[in-house]
Amino acid sequence: MASPTEADLAKSLAMAQQELDYRVDLFNRMTSSCFEKCMDRRYKDGELNVGEHSCVDRCCAKYWQVTGIVGQMLGAQGQGM
Amino acid sequence: MNSAMEGMEDLPEAQRNALLQKIEELQVRDSLRTYNSVVERCFVDCVSSFRSKNLDSTEERCVTYVLRKVFEACARVGMRFGEMSSQSEQQMQQMMAATGTARQMIKR
Repeated sequence: MASPTEADLAKSLAMAQQELDYRVDLFNRMTSSCFEKCMDRRYKDGELNVGEHSCVDRCCAKYWQVTGIVGQMLGAQGQGM
Repeated sequence: MNSAMEGMEDLPEAQRNALLQKIEELQVRDSLRTYNSVVERCFVDCVSSFRSKNLDSTEERCVTYVLRKVFEACARVGMRFGEMSSQSEQQMQQMMAATGTARQMIKR
């Protein structure tokens, strides 16, 4: 197999950067959404209680599932075009 | 993220350095954004009266609580994110391995 060209490498780099960007954004949105949904706004103290811990776990799992579903649908639509 | 990091070793030095620099840039940018969004959250959730120019003790205490909670929540999300990411990646690899095996069988 021929060694990758300059153009191939540039393309891989660009793709890697995009992926990184996407993951960072996903993480930030997940954190923000789950905080919004799970935290007791009265802020009685500075620690997560048991309920908040489980809520965050489940929130992350559900967020991930939503990401998967949306990804599948968008992918299918893209092929349909 | 893991596969991206592993793939990095195959890149020539110049490309790898460029990617590492980009990663650092993203980290700096992300830190600054996090800083701003945490400040906003603290302000929105804790400050609601404007009788004085200075924060009173309740508001100050609330801000420290919010900060600590954000920290903990972020750490926990990070942990789950990492778990789910590697799970997804494993599933992908299994799927690709299975597809590859199926293709080989069809070729025969």
